[in-house]
Amino acid sequence: MKRALAVVALLALTLPSLAFAQSGEDETKFDPSEEWNLKTWGPDLKIGPIDMSINKAVAYLMLATIVSIVIGIAFMRIRPGRGPNRRQALGEAIYEIAQVQVAEQGLPTKAIGRWFPYVATLMIFIWVVNILGFIPLPLSDERWHVAGISIPTLAIFAATSTLSVTLALALMTFVFTHVEGIRENGSWAYFKSWIPDVPKAMLPMIIPLEILGQFMRLISLSVRLYANMLAGHMLILTFIGLIFLVTPWVFPFSVLLATVFYLFEVLIVVSIQAYIFAALSAIYIGSAIEPEH
Amino acid sequence: MHASFFFLAAAEDGADAGKAIALALGIGLGALGAGVGIGNIFGSMIQAVARQPELRGELTGIQWLGFALTEAVVFYGLIGGLLAYVLV
Repeated sequence: MKRALAVVALLALTLPSLAFAQSGEDETKFDPSEEWNLKTWGPDLKIGPIDMSINKAVAYLMLATIVSIVIGIAFMRIRPGRGPNRRQALGEAIYEIAQVQVAEQGLPTKAIGRWFPYVATLMIFIWVVNILGFIPLPLSDERWHVAGISIPTLAIFAATSTLSVTLALALMTFVFTHVEGIRENGSWAYFKSWIPDVPKAMLPMIIPLEILGQFMRLISLSVRLYANMLAGHMLILTFIGLIFLVTPWVFPFSVLLATVFYLFEVLIVVSIQAYIFAALSAIYIGSAIEPEH
Repeated sequence: MHASFFFLAAAEDGADAGKAIALALGIGLGALGAGVGIGNIFGSMIQAVARQPELRGELTGIQWLGFALTEAVVFYGLIGGLLAYVLV
């Protein structure tokens, strides 16, 4: 099993490098940050100031949405009665992580019924977006001309390595936190619960800090996921890119290092980031429903 | 063969080279602190499990939460450094 995983990872790494080799001839300079230069596909759909046109990240998000819906239907909609099978066991394992590790970690018991679907969806959706970012898919902006037809090259790209996606997800948690806090406690009691018990003289210093802290949550939640995925992809692309920039003889060294980082990202970072985003959302919403003071 | 093999370090003139060094130094120092922090978390986890192995299940969730929160500090430094590199 582990050996098969290593072989798959190695294949996954050499395929994008072949793609780079194909496109590298007409370009003079290799620049991994070009991958984040999102070009519009198809027509420009602009509604006022809002840009609705489709690009690479949007395509990845749409794909991830479909995959998470399929995961939900395939693993959770199981007709009971004929004894548990592997599908059901895996579905229950996912459910248990979402229930025990995420929802019960942060949400008070009375709010689990209402907010469990949200945090579980966050966890599965972010995991799917992250893992799709490490599977080479023909969704690149670059084209590979073979036998007269041009097909997109295989490339790795995660929609969560763009700040807009993670900021939108974090904004949802931010809005839900405060809406739920006001709904449960009333607005005066809720905003009062932000301010800790300190001597009166300290208040002018504490109040701005606490208000700033609420907005820092938004930034830290979104930047954590964004920067993790960005740095992971950048590392892998840079190590593969060394082959084309320094000398082809660094091939064993750079593929080995890229494989190590690839495995680290796929086995640890992808799941941890999905878990952390959902767990922190649960903790924030839970702490708004039942403030400590 | 290019002299500049890292995408940011297109060190064609002195100012760019200085910025590249500053960026690398900043991220390196940020990683230093996070490395100490992550070491602390896992060290404490090992001690805790050695003392009370039956708590492992409960502690694992907290351990990964702490790991991700600490690890993120490097990336704040990275994003800040990139912003400074691009904007200044």
